[in-house]
Amino acid sequence: MNSVDRITATLQGSPADRVPVIAQVFGHAAILAGISLGSYVRDGSLLARCQIEALRYYKYDAVFALMDTSVETEATGSVLNYSPGDYPTVKSFALSNPDYLDRLSIPDPHRAGRMPELLKAARLLRKDVGDRTLVVGCVLGPLTITTQLMGIQNAIYCAIDEPDRFAEILDFATALAKVFGEAQLDAGIHLPVVFDPSASPAVVPPGFFREFELPRLRILFSFLKAHGSAANWLHIAGPAAPILPYYQEAGVDIANFDYPVSAAEAQTRLPVTCLGGNIKPLLFVEADPGEITREANLLLDQFAVRGRFILSSGCEIPPESRPGNILAMVKAAKNIGRDPCRS
Amino acid sequence: MEHLIRALIEGDRPRSVFAVERLIKAGTDRELIITEGLEVAMKRLESKCTLEQFNLLEIMVAGRAVMEVMNYIYPEGSRPVSTKGKVIIATLEGDVHDLGKNILRMVLIADGYHVVDCGKDCPLNVLVSTAKRENARAVCISGLITSLIPLVRKVKSSLHRAGLTGIPVIAGGAALKMASAGSLNVDVVCDSAFDAVNWLDNEEVRKE
Repeated sequence: MNSVDRITATLQGSPADRVPVIAQVFGHAAILAGISLGSYVRDGSLLARCQIEALRYYKYDAVFALMDTSVETEATGSVLNYSPGDYPTVKSFALSNPDYLDRLSIPDPHRAGRMPELLKAARLLRKDVGDRTLVVGCVLGPLTITTQLMGIQNAIYCAIDEPDRFAEILDFATALAKVFGEAQLDAGIHLPVVFDPSASPAVVPPGFFREFELPRLRILFSFLKAHGSAANWLHIAGPAAPILPYYQEAGVDIANFDYPVSAAEAQTRLPVTCLGGNIKPLLFVEADPGEITREANLLLDQFAVRGRFILSSGCEIPPESRPGNILAMVKAAKNIGRDPCRS
Repeated sequence: MEHLIRALIEGDRPRSVFAVERLIKAGTDRELIITEGLEVAMKRLESKCTLEQFNLLEIMVAGRAVMEVMNYIYPEGSRPVSTKGKVIIATLEGDVHDLGKNILRMVLIADGYHVVDCGKDCPLNVLVSTAKRENARAVCISGLITSLIPLVRKVKSSLHRAGLTGIPVIAGGAALKMASAGSLNVDVVCDSAFDAVNWLDNEEVRKE
């Protein structure tokens, strides 16, 4: 069974040879290859090469055409600060004043900012792995695009002070996510993860999520599925338990859950959706392979009966993580059912 | 006072300022407005901040109203020095995310602390020299990225080398709160800005 078959079977609740393991290796692939993060996030060929090298080293089930959370905002007009050792950050926001929304236009993914490089990475990755390994792209969710266009403080104040204008900005962000997601699908990804950290209950209350974000996620996921996405994957980090029940309504097929949400709670709130998680990211930096193995085995046990589970970290595996810890997670998934000593 | 407290919790700036105007016209002492109004509002907001309910939006909107009221009560330059002491806050060099730090700033000010904000991307030596110059009561570090952790581990020892052995170091933020206080070499890791304020408020009790 190859990785795509394994993940497809898991999504459908059909028997698979083992639990899929998707390490959220983004910038870590650059570090592993001895490349600077600053170069990795600007060069699609380099990104693809690093991802393939990481895949060959770790032998997990998915690669990522994913740069950082500033791709969409840069393509729309924000100016970024780049540094060799870190992900870029926004220096000046494209929408510093919400009244200037009319001045923005949806960027062309084939021309704007680093979007063409990301599309190049997607093409190269798919060409290399074909349908053997899942190629995952990335679009930010509407709320996260909005906070990246305005700055999170301005966005939150706008939501409270001018809710109608805020809704217009979210609609713009949704349209942007659709266009970028479609371009990535055309370039060859199997599916984009919709990464939406600003929609976390750590940032906005569940009622706000339900009113502002849920309808737009539904539109986005419906669009992506209609344009060939293999599955709808939503990734909201942090204490997301209160909003998990809305995921089914949004059309989510794969729900990431971060370490503040227990496996039992995630299963209760999303009884049929495929779940991916949730080893604490910092453990990949600080712990040793033994601890990662214990954490992974615990999760595998907790999902042994239910199934529909992808072993993963709660959020991105930090770039500076120890390779031995990632290998330990992958090994745990591959050992499931084969290790008589494991309780 | 109850009108003010409710308006602050709802983040309603015009109603908050209006309530303060009425209190001042009625002869209410300004310090009393802070201790019985602003601090009570923040305490009530805190009670909503269980892990499930905490969210930036409510804190930021209430915090904005609190800051507006503070500026109304004490226009720039007229504010008395706080009695609770000076707290140095910063996001360390390499981390340019400062939202968490800014929220902590609002909550500390509302609770009566004098905050010295070293900003984001702050070099360690600037943090230490500021703590020394200001005779700080505590140092608070906020961090969103895990790569910052090695630098956070050096804060305490850098303070000690500067002769500042009695200043507690408080850590918080998405990345740092994944770690333990021991592993970060700090005095405490807080889940929220309110936890940090409570820890500081209780510090004198712990010393006794």
